[in-house]
Amino acid sequence: MLLKNKTALLTGCNRGIGKEILKIFANNKSNLVCCVRQADEAFSNLINQLKIENNIKIDVYYIDFEKEKNIKEIASDIIKNHQINILVNNIGYLENSLFQMTTSQNLKKHFDVNFFSQFEFTQYIIKSMIKIKNGSIIFISSSASLDGNIGRSSYSSSKSAINALSKVLSRELGRYNIRVNTIAPGLADTDMMRNTTDEKVLNDIVKNLSLKRIADPAEIANVVLFLASDLSSYLTGQLIRVDGGI
Amino acid sequence: MSDNLSIYKECFSESLSISSEIVNKNLKYNEIDEWDSIGHMTLISSLEEKFNISFETDDVIDFSSYTKGIEILKKYKIEI
Repeated sequence: MLLKNKTALLTGCNRGIGKEILKIFANNKSNLVCCVRQADEAFSNLINQLKIENNIKIDVYYIDFEKEKNIKEIASDIIKNHQINILVNNIGYLENSLFQMTTSQNLKKHFDVNFFSQFEFTQYIIKSMIKIKNGSIIFISSSASLDGNIGRSSYSSSKSAINALSKVLSRELGRYNIRVNTIAPGLADTDMMRNTTDEKVLNDIVKNLSLKRIADPAEIANVVLFLASDLSSYLTGQLIRVDGGI
Repeated sequence: MSDNLSIYKECFSESLSISSEIVNKNLKYNEIDEWDSIGHMTLISSLEEKFNISFETDDVIDFSSYTKGIEILKKYKIEI
């Protein structure tokens, strides 16, 4: 029960790694505020199930992270109605294209979703944490931000920006006892990864991994749990690769 | 002194750790050591908490003096 009596705000938690974070946080008795783009029945069912199984509160907000006005409205509503202890910024957009075929529109969309929206959203949410002088913020970046994978100039750049932002925030917010860390997952078995990674490339990468397999998303979520919990109370400003050993 | 005015002044003196005597209309951002960028964010948090409001980012930036703060707070329906 690592998160009992805490409230965690999770973005992009209806699939992939985000969904695993949601389940693991719920199992550790965190109350939850979930931000997803749109309603879907499977997600609503999961939320109801987690509420009943764990006797926790879960509120769901629908938010379009490409619209600044929407981000502001929802974030203001959240901090008015919830005392947030943990923020997990997990939304992400990925579209592969070689650099010479990357349009400015593609680059802009990556930065809008992967960087600007998280910048703005976090700016509002930290008000809730500053008030109680306590908090943990976790950004979900990517090993692509460090490795520079072919075809991911936009994605890698936007995630690198997140890495830098996280470091700066850790320094600026430390005085309020707010910790800020980033994890950089490698290949995890999610729809997003399967849809954007060529199978031959995937096999080649796996051959070179120390652990010789891709991650179960729950293995990424466990590291997020550690960073969210008081087990990591003296850890801030860090970028942790969770990549099976590259 | 109105309640809001005393709360406003208290936010300055407590969050910037300065004497209440220098909390007046002459006080400006960055003109005393205590009201630097770090002090500013502490002051903003204190005002948000005491008046139960949430400043827009532009207002956090524009909050450049004791007097300007009073003007900005009117936007949030707080009369000093």
